[in-house]
Amino acid sequence: MDEDNKVTKKQVIETEVPLGTVHSAAIEPYRVRLFVEDEIVKDAEITVGVNHRGVERIMEGLPVEKANSLTEKICGICSNSHIWNSVLVAEKALGIEVPERALYIRIIMEELERLHSHMLYLAHGSEVLGHETFAMRVFYIRETVMELLRMIGGNRVQYGVPIIGGIRPRAELDQMRIQKIKDGMDFVEEKITEFAERFVSDPMVMSRITGVGILKKEDAIRLSATGPTLRATGVDIDLRRDMPEYDSFEFNVITHDDGDVKSNLLVRVLEIPESIKIIRQAIDHLPEGKITNRSWEMEDAPVTKNYIEVPRGKLYHSYSLDDGRVRNVIVRTPSITNIGAMEYACIGYHITDAQLAIVQCDPCFTCTDRAIQIIQI
Amino acid sequence: MSLKSYSRARAVHVMLVYTGGCNGCDIEIVNCIFSPKYDAEQYKIFLTWNPREADVLVVTGPVTKHNEQPLREIYKAIPEPKAVIAAGACALMGGVYKNINGDIPSEEIMGPVDKIIPVDAKVPGCAVRPEDVLAGAVAALPKLLNAK
Repeated sequence: MDEDNKVTKKQVIETEVPLGTVHSAAIEPYRVRLFVEDEIVKDAEITVGVNHRGVERIMEGLPVEKANSLTEKICGICSNSHIWNSVLVAEKALGIEVPERALYIRIIMEELERLHSHMLYLAHGSEVLGHETFAMRVFYIRETVMELLRMIGGNRVQYGVPIIGGIRPRAELDQMRIQKIKDGMDFVEEKITEFAERFVSDPMVMSRITGVGILKKEDAIRLSATGPTLRATGVDIDLRRDMPEYDSFEFNVITHDDGDVKSNLLVRVLEIPESIKIIRQAIDHLPEGKITNRSWEMEDAPVTKNYIEVPRGKLYHSYSLDDGRVRNVIVRTPSITNIGAMEYACIGYHITDAQLAIVQCDPCFTCTDRAIQIIQI
Repeated sequence: MSLKSYSRARAVHVMLVYTGGCNGCDIEIVNCIFSPKYDAEQYKIFLTWNPREADVLVVTGPVTKHNEQPLREIYKAIPEPKAVIAAGACALMGGVYKNINGDIPSEEIMGPVDKIIPVDAKVPGCAVRPEDVLAGAVAALPKLLNAK
């Protein structure tokens, strides 16, 4: 291998270990081919496409409200991010002003979702590590967040809070709900701090995850990794700092330098208190007023695009509006840009670490499988 | 109660197969078995990923084109007696992806699940709630326990 960490010589690696598409270590169906020499992974290849459902195709020509709620069904983990970004695209295209209160409640939902997504990552990571007790402990903490999401949105997974012009009336926060969120945040902060201390001070876990699946900063940038995976390699980037929605909130961007499994886990653990900080600020300064702006008219609009920062990185949605219906829908989720990082992180490590190196990038192959290759004949 | 059904009742192994849904149902099912709040393991329900040691197959998602054949093979690999639970709106009728009565019927979706393998219990919901999954597992148990 040269310094680019790539197989340059035209050597044929004969031993191939295929994992998937249905495999015990991976909950989602995807296929990994590991090319192995002396139990060391020399090359890896991830194939997606098993999950393809053609959501963009179904969305084509639907009324925009219907299409927005369909974007939620792209992913069951970051469903709020998808509907939020899709709604933002429509608001940008039509020039709709959203009441302040609705903006704050959207932020609360997004940060609650980031909490539950990061905790799911920790649980899944612990399970892949072989430490089921940690996984159960994180699931126990996560249940509080899930109950809060259920209380606000009415469903544990797909909440459907943002609508064009504001939020759904169901998601209005009254005094009782605010108190519950406050109590929940206190509980989560206390428990996650305890968990992080135990996690860091466990010598067995730390020796398992330190120095495994290292992704260098330059490689991460070259492979266009995004989100916490990129931040774990030392790149100080977070779209939330540049988003106008987050202007009035104070928070720190967490970075780590090593790029291994340990940094990836720690970045996500340390992002949880930051999210809690944002939720507390939003609750303390929740503006009064209405939650939905209904004075807007549907009109045609050219292709409009929007980026937001979601738990896994940068999310892109774009569509144009034609007679109240969406056209040319394109969705790009963070996991698809992280696939290169996943393949790269396995190379050079023992075959038992391969799954861990893939999981460290927080893959969500459900999000990923939408691309359609159009071949002209 | 025969010895077989006695021992079966004390170790029900559930295998989760994911055939292309949105991840919501899967996490709720894993949550239902792992999370200390629901904790299906206290009812002797265990999660496994090996079809040869599974008793109950939980299928989520509308079955996509590429997942149809693996699903049949997994179903064949499970020893008798076996029960199948279809969980979630997608597994029951194709969900939003099937585009039912839509102008473009989706060619990517081969589901619902009962077109492909026989289903014993159906758990509705989008996404399914952990309580409902437990109820579905209980509804599928008599088939396992009463088998000879």
